[in-house]
Amino acid sequence: MTNVIAQPRPMRAATALSDAALSSAAVAACDAGLSGRAESAISTKPLAPAESLILGESLISTKPLISTDSLPNPTLHAVQLNGVRFSYDRGKAWALDGIDLTIRPGERICLTGPNGSGKSTLSRIIAGLVAPDCGTVQLLGHQVFDGAQPDPQAYRKARHGIGAVFQNPEDQIVTTVVEDDVAFGPENLGLPHPVIAQRLDAALGAVDMAAYRHGDPAHMSGGQQQRIAIAGTLAMAPSMIVLDEPTAMLDSLAQAEVMGILDALQARGTTIVHVTHRSGETAHADRVIRMEHGRIVADTTIAYATVTDAKATDTTITQPAAGAKPDVTHVTATTAANRDCASNDSHSTAWHGMTADWQAHVDRPAIEVSHVSMRYANASNAALDDLSLTIEPGETVAIMGRNGSGKTTLARLLAALEKPSAGTIRIAGIDPATRSRRARKELRRQVGLVMQRPERQLFAETVAEDIAYGPSNQHLAPAEVASRVQDAMTLLHISHLAQRSPASLSGGQQRLAAIAGVIACQPGILIMDEPTASLDAAASARIHELVRALHDRGVTIVMITHSPEEAQTLASRIITLPEHAATPLSVVEEGEQGEARPASFVASLDPRVKMVAFLALMFTAFMIHTPVQLALSAALVAGIVAAARISPLRLLASIHMFLALFVMMGLLNVFFVRTGATLFTIASVPITTDGLSVAMLYICRFALVVILGAVLLETTTPTALADGFGSLLSPLHRVMHTQELALVMSLALRFLPILGRETRAIMDAQSARGGSIETGSPARRIKAMSAIIVPVFAGTLRHADNLSLALDARCYEEGARRTHWRLMRVRTRDIAFGVLAAVYIVALIVLGLM
Amino acid sequence: MKILTGGNFHSGAIMAAITVKKKPATRVKRLIRWESGANGYSPDGRNEAHMSDLSHAGNTPASSPISTSTDPAGADPAAQSTAARNAHDTGVADSGRWSTRRIAIYALFVALAMATSFVEFPIIPGVPWLKYDPSGIVCLIAGFAFGPSAAAIVSVLGFTPHLLMDPWGTLMAVLVSLALSVPAALVYKYRRSQGGAIVGILLGALCALAVAILGNLVVTPIYAHMSIAQVAALIVPVLLPFNLIKFAIDGVVTYLIYKPVSNLLHR
Repeated sequence: MTNVIAQPRPMRAATALSDAALSSAAVAACDAGLSGRAESAISTKPLAPAESLILGESLISTKPLISTDSLPNPTLHAVQLNGVRFSYDRGKAWALDGIDLTIRPGERICLTGPNGSGKSTLSRIIAGLVAPDCGTVQLLGHQVFDGAQPDPQAYRKARHGIGAVFQNPEDQIVTTVVEDDVAFGPENLGLPHPVIAQRLDAALGAVDMAAYRHGDPAHMSGGQQQRIAIAGTLAMAPSMIVLDEPTAMLDSLAQAEVMGILDALQARGTTIVHVTHRSGETAHADRVIRMEHGRIVADTTIAYATVTDAKATDTTITQPAAGAKPDVTHVTATTAANRDCASNDSHSTAWHGMTADWQAHVDRPAIEVSHVSMRYANASNAALDDLSLTIEPGETVAIMGRNGSGKTTLARLLAALEKPSAGTIRIAGIDPATRSRRARKELRRQVGLVMQRPERQLFAETVAEDIAYGPSNQHLAPAEVASRVQDAMTLLHISHLAQRSPASLSGGQQRLAAIAGVIACQPGILIMDEPTASLDAAASARIHELVRALHDRGVTIVMITHSPEEAQTLASRIITLPEHAATPLSVVEEGEQGEARPASFVASLDPRVKMVAFLALMFTAFMIHTPVQLALSAALVAGIVAAARISPLRLLASIHMFLALFVMMGLLNVFFVRTGATLFTIASVPITTDGLSVAMLYICRFALVVILGAVLLETTTPTALADGFGSLLSPLHRVMHTQELALVMSLALRFLPILGRETRAIMDAQSARGGSIETGSPARRIKAMSAIIVPVFAGTLRHADNLSLALDARCYEEGARRTHWRLMRVRTRDIAFGVLAAVYIVALIVLGLM
Repeated sequence: MKILTGGNFHSGAIMAAITVKKKPATRVKRLIRWESGANGYSPDGRNEAHMSDLSHAGNTPASSPISTSTDPAGADPAAQSTAARNAHDTGVADSGRWSTRRIAIYALFVALAMATSFVEFPIIPGVPWLKYDPSGIVCLIAGFAFGPSAAAIVSVLGFTPHLLMDPWGTLMAVLVSLALSVPAALVYKYRRSQGGAIVGILLGALCALAVAILGNLVVTPIYAHMSIAQVAALIVPVLLPFNLIKFAIDGVVTYLIYKPVSNLLHR
């Protein structure tokens, strides 16, 4: 891993340049210009001439690895903002209210401030992704916004030199192969193929992901994905990088990795603008700018002699010492000190958490997990392996562990959303696998689950209605429902938001509203999966207060968290789940040159030829009517399967979901075909020889089609499919936007698993609140369906918003000339395969005519 | 072919199916909001919504929330928010039918259509091979929000994974989806109101019904050894009720959720 390069830095004089005289004129111009920008005659004063600067050492001494070609004149500032104002609602409130900011090339700036201070908005303006309402913006020497109009050409040029990295790594990755994703930016810039190859090597090396270049980003951890996103911007050789809370979703090790990369970039002279609300991450910055309510309130220059001193007070990011062993707490140990929490008899009985017969045995553990293992259907490793733990009633327990150690899986098991592959669980004395529906309903009532990012499950029109969803599914009287809603809102101090629409709340408020929705069900056991992730200090404090209040009421709380401080302040016990061995990520074997060597003949075919040929084979399979044709077809398919080196067992696994369909087709045919000799009769339906043979024929040929499809999917990555699709469409480029359609296809395939996962999570969250589409009156079922569909759409739109920013940041533009990293060539083997397929089809036709 | 083209029977059944499920009080509330223009288009006729700027993301709070639910008679919130977003365009890949915003939205809707096309369950007991999947809802919403071309893109691309599993069935599903969403989107494009939406859904359901039955006539003999006449005999007892129920569910759910979804689009 790249280490921090310790270099003595010179002391810098205070440098914040601001021009007070400009600002008042700018504000006047802004107010006049806001209502009708096109016809505004007032223009701002021309920029002050560039002051001569003492060039920082970083530009002269260190030769930057990343070129600064896009900086037309190194003596100009990297960023200059004057009087910038920005409003989301046409002037009613200002997200940015008069920002004057100058950033020199090579500086590293940290933008801090509470949620809602405008840091993200400012970062987007600096990245050249949005234009402000007022003020002037100069980026990398290009005057992109002059107070009235944006200059698209200038923006285009500026963006070529600015990279942007956002919070959520998932939404920045556009395809399913690491290499192709990193190459996306250079492709958009129209760079020639050899240059792209160089940039790829440099970028992947800089983030230490070169070993994973042929892997699928979706199978990698959040930290690795964020590194891939950074590599994607580095490959465009930017002179400035803007990062908007890049570590918000990462665990501490991944945070350290990303900070290390930033340090290396800083040493090479890249200008860095880093938005963060963690104070620990400002340690290596040159300037720390604090914002509040849309204004800059502090601009501190940090002077430091050596980098290493600043690390001493750094508690948030710790790089693990070399040779440190991971902490493997034995999870079966319970300490006697936990017993004192169980004295909840004296507490208010208003919390109806416990069932009558459980309360009688209050010394029975709230949760018992014994030798539980969990392995998902197509995973190579077990998510959980022989885990045992016990949680007493009224305890507050924190569960920690690296990403991928199975914490979320454990949360879902404890909430009875899944059954373990092995072992038993008892929650509140009830086994989730019990057959008794009453017991399962009781269990559902006992356990509340706050999933990761619970604000994604909000669906109702007002906050109060959303919170009431859970209690109303418990068949309580309306008065009782209302009082529970009130109680939950009071606990979280959001009563004033009761009639607001959830979509209009801030992220932190949405989180609180979603948690209130779970608490209103008054569960005796509450499971929270990273409740304070990406929240600022104020909102986190509310949640900590809630946890303490619930603890006082006797609720058993299981909290998954990444933050050791949080665990220590709130929990009486910390359980750390052990890590698993890393799964092999590369599906494709590496050849000696480092080029990926495809594993089989079929996989090495050009995707276009493959797709067309396979589809032709599949469509014509339905011409098979005779046993001879069937034999020919079966021989061809067997040959293809062998050439694809797919084991028959794996093939069987991918088609097993069709078995039911096969059976049905067979039955249908047997039912309809009555000719031929009758063999026997079932329920007055004669089963004839013809019927059976026809059934077999239809089943077999459908099976061949399914097998062909499975082979195609196994041997071709979604990226290759999308590329092939785009290439096949390209002759039509005069009639339709083939390049854009191909990109849409590729993005859709990339996001498909993400949406599937989120839909399942939302379905789980709503069913944990008692909403289910399978049971209940039609009105309730429709409400349950809308409680699932609306958040799913909200999630879809949220991904789309983030994705479009990422596409802009990577300089994608409709109609612009793009080069391609992955070249598709039709070689002799492709022609041979095509000829083979054609010959086969002709033979099929001939046999059919005979 | 009376069965395929009989108008009154179908529309009556579909109307009955829809009106049964709506509650009267909310119907009035929705009436107001439909006509306030809080839908995918600004009322001055600009077709594609310019969603060129990100309104809020992540933890950035709404500085002054536009609460469409409490301001039905006031200034048009959708046009305001659209104009507010256009004000922050940079001019690069910001506007037009293939702005990066649009590409992202199309991609996500196609992904959603793909995901929902895998959620299949039979809705008529005893006929387990006729399955319902909610992807029609996604195509309808895309069509209402972004226009007929979006409906076409989502319908065609959304079924491509199935092409490799069930080629002829997929072709038919694509044609049915196109027949459902494109006419509905066309009608809604020219009559942006609650009435327009209902007429659009009805028209779409009719076209889709016709295409579904024709498609079944062509495709079922490929999967089962039945002549076209035998399939035709199945129309009234099996195919018609199934398709009616399927399009009724699509129409009702789309109608019910379009309001909240379009509010999300215009935050």
